Amino acid sequence: MLFDNVPYGLPSYIFSPKWFYGFDSIIESVAVIVSILLVYYSYKCFKLTHENRYLYFSTAFLSITFAFLAKIIGTLAIYKPKITRSAVGSSIHETFNTLTPSYINAVSFVVFIFFMLLGFMILFLIISRLTWKNQRILALLVYFVFLATWISTIHYQLFYVTTFVLLSLITYSYYRNYQEIKSVNARFVLFAFSIILISQAFFIFIIYSRTVYVLAELIQLLGFIYLLIPFVLIFKKKPKKHKLVK
Amino acid sequence: MSEKRRGKLEIIADILRSIQSKNGRIKPTHLLYKSNLSHAKLKEYIDVLMKKGMIEEKQEKGKKIFLMKELGYKFLLEFERIKEFSDSFGL
Repeated sequence: MLFDNVPYGLPSYIFSPKWFYGFDSIIESVAVIVSILLVYYSYKCFKLTHENRYLYFSTAFLSITFAFLAKIIGTLAIYKPKITRSAVGSSIHETFNTLTPSYINAVSFVVFIFFMLLGFMILFLIISRLTWKNQRILALLVYFVFLATWISTIHYQLFYVTTFVLLSLITYSYYRNYQEIKSVNARFVLFAFSIILISQAFFIFIIYSRTVYVLAELIQLLGFIYLLIPFVLIFKKKPKKHKLVK
Repeated sequence: MSEKRRGKLEIIADILRSIQSKNGRIKPTHLLYKSNLSHAKLKEYIDVLMKKGMIEEKQEKGKKIFLMKELGYKFLLEFERIKEFSDSFGL
């Protein structure tokens, strides 16, 4: 764990064991790819159907994409001495040469926390069937995201406790959805969110052991791979054979 | 329990499915029966589908029939994908 002095009293965190440096960023890159695919397809659905639920879903995963990108930048900034020899590493080093790694790390983590909480919150709102008509509730939940971000920068564990609570509610909704739909893809989505939920439980305890961080990252990777499966299955769906009648 | 009202896209998909189930060709009376729409509403949708190039109207032995075109099959596939995506992700 690394705690440096950075502006505004922001702490700088690194929980990975040295041998795992960079691997966590690769895992998060997988999460970014899966999230971008979901952003792209749900936005395409919105353009075709003009139904807002697809736009909100796209926004939720766009927020999660930003969160993971921020975490990748933040951790790579700290791992910099190890990776500057690589092409990607040196270009990042050149770009952020004037900023200290700890500063980048701290700011990135605040951005990571905010967008991750926002993304899960939007997802929770969509599957809870809340609409923009519930403006007071929405305002309260947005305030809650800001508050949770602020407190999480002071007590990092609280961030994972919050994501765990949000994901518990999301996973329960997906359990109800599976009970109703009973499809293979709905089951994969339920599995994916259950696994991501378990990873958040592990993340709560990363301050006690670096091994827990590795386990949490690997479980999270599994969760995002499971999230990709229903997406791939939907696209593998072939058109029914037909003869055009002349 | 009351059934949820169908959206425009669902109605279009239902019409196309009805034609598909009859091997891509259907008589207007059969379509009216299968689509569960009023005559006026069905005509509106048929006009839209013909304008978009998803179906075409032909005369066969002096009787009118509707034929499904490639674009209609493509629409149905994309609609099924969106529906599956929407159901799976609880949207």
